[in-house]
Amino acid sequence: MPISKEYIIKRLLLLVVVVFGVLVITFVITRVIPAHPELLWAGAHPTKEQIEKARKELRLDQPIHVQLYYYLLDFLSGNWGVSWRTRQPVLKDIQAALPATLELVVLAFIIAIVLGVPLGAIAALKRNTWVDHIIRIVSVIGASVPVFWLALILQLVLSNWLGILPGAKRVDEYIVYETGFKEITGFILLDSLIQGNIPVFVNALQHIMLPAIVLAFYPFGLSARMTRAVMTEALNELYTRSALAWGLPRRLVIYKYALKNALAPVIASLGLSFGYTIIGAFMVELIFVWPGIGLYAAMALLSYDYPAIIGCVIVVAIIYTVINMIVDIIHAIIDPRVRL
Amino acid sequence: MIPEDVRVIFRLIKTNPVSLAGLVIVVGFVIVGIIAPYIVPYPEDAWGETYNIEKRYLPPSLEHPFGTDDMGRDVFSRVILGARFSLIIAIGVVGLALLIGIPIGLIAGYVGGKLGTALMRITDMFLAFPPLLLAIALAATLGRGLVNTIIALAISWWPWYARLVYVQVNSIRVLPYVDAARIVGLHPLAIMFKHVLPNALTPVTVQAALDMGSAILEAAGLSFLGVGVKPPTPEWGLLVTEGWSSINVAWWISLFPGLAILITVLGFNLLADAVREAGDPRLRRILLVGRKI
Repeated sequence: MPISKEYIIKRLLLLVVVVFGVLVITFVITRVIPAHPELLWAGAHPTKEQIEKARKELRLDQPIHVQLYYYLLDFLSGNWGVSWRTRQPVLKDIQAALPATLELVVLAFIIAIVLGVPLGAIAALKRNTWVDHIIRIVSVIGASVPVFWLALILQLVLSNWLGILPGAKRVDEYIVYETGFKEITGFILLDSLIQGNIPVFVNALQHIMLPAIVLAFYPFGLSARMTRAVMTEALNELYTRSALAWGLPRRLVIYKYALKNALAPVIASLGLSFGYTIIGAFMVELIFVWPGIGLYAAMALLSYDYPAIIGCVIVVAIIYTVINMIVDIIHAIIDPRVRL
Repeated sequence: MIPEDVRVIFRLIKTNPVSLAGLVIVVGFVIVGIIAPYIVPYPEDAWGETYNIEKRYLPPSLEHPFGTDDMGRDVFSRVILGARFSLIIAIGVVGLALLIGIPIGLIAGYVGGKLGTALMRITDMFLAFPPLLLAIALAATLGRGLVNTIIALAISWWPWYARLVYVQVNSIRVLPYVDAARIVGLHPLAIMFKHVLPNALTPVTVQAALDMGSAILEAAGLSFLGVGVKPPTPEWGLLVTEGWSSINVAWWISLFPGLAILITVLGFNLLADAVREAGDPRLRRILLVGRKI
């Protein structure tokens, strides 16, 4: 049964409401909570003129609802302020940084699913054996490890000590110059494939592996646990037992009937872990000098670059909301019960 | 949750070595957190008041099990005292989040109507932020410090408890005994606090206790991003960050505090797993019967 138009329209309306809420909350945080909002917006060591200028830009002499009106208007017209660190409009900085982050996060999720689902299924089949315990511990570690510490340690061991993988940046500059690589979409892996530039592709793949593995830990753990839980339940359902009683091969029952159940929860788990992963990217990108929105946000935090911080917060919150909406819609397509 | 459930949880924990390990870790963490100031071998180092240039970057040894840092301070002492700060943060965040979340969930669920809808809409707005992001924005606004870290995390945390209490209250509100109390003529506030709230409280407090691991993890993340606690507070996340710049000469400065976070949060999560499985009746049946395909 195809999904109804009303459902999608309802979800889109909800998206608008949520984005409005996100903006109002950030407005309260930036303008209402601090006693002197202009000091936050005027950079790390502001002069009197800069503070005065910030006061004017924020319209602090006007009533609060007028300030909110202009805050929303500025957001919609793309006027997100100027970063103190880069001296560029925040929106432009963020647009330039986004592809690097998306590339990293997408690869992290691919790694997480390709490993998480089969391992979760094995854990369910071999419940309460040592295989199950080990997989359980590994997946819980993914949810318990401080992502920045994991990044530091893996960088130290695999890159600095053993030299297996590069530990910083997206690609080695000299290869880019030598091969005449050009950016098209901002996704280096994609661009190098389009141009048939194998050296850059291989080099970029080597660079992305370490940060992607670090970021994959959490979604890997979540999808493995989800798969394990769903498979355990499905294997005890009447339909799988009757399928076995009918004499269907065990292998067929497991892969065709039981594992199918894992699809919906695994997609839901991706939505859940996306938020965690993108915040993890803040720290991982800082450590691996990965020029994405996470590095941009982390540098902004470390240098008190307030307009850039708030810009990143809004963008990440909106991306998170959109991803969750997409996940909900996919979930509804797969699992008709959700639509009710 | 009724005591029967708690008994089942403990029975499950006892039978599963992994869950038992979680329980041992959590109990150990709480004990170390309480007695830390009295057992650290180098108290001045632990509080970060010393600077011994001749003892910088000493590798782990019997005298300094976790080595020394860039200021010549004993890392082991700082990690042990760090347990206390993590405990303070965990209790502070979860406690403050409960203080905000329970009343909002209770009012929204029990009073209902337009007020209830409005409160739950606001709650949903907060839930639109990915974890930690709202805390980052708040911490950047409030500035560094232990109290600000707790406030920033609690404000991004309470909506989960408000939702949980709301759902509980909604299901309790329609039970016959609440109607009976109303008919007898009890004051609505008395019904709300004496009869509805106590029954809605167990799941949310169990959840809150298990969330303490995540609070520790998120506080460490804030510290790493430079918006958490202030140095020289021996908070574990900050200790890892302090060792970052010299990680190639002295890996032990970052390694051990990070391990402390990992083990502690792991303990909470293993315990949370056990409770979650015990709370799921279908899974619990499977576990107790031990039936396998």
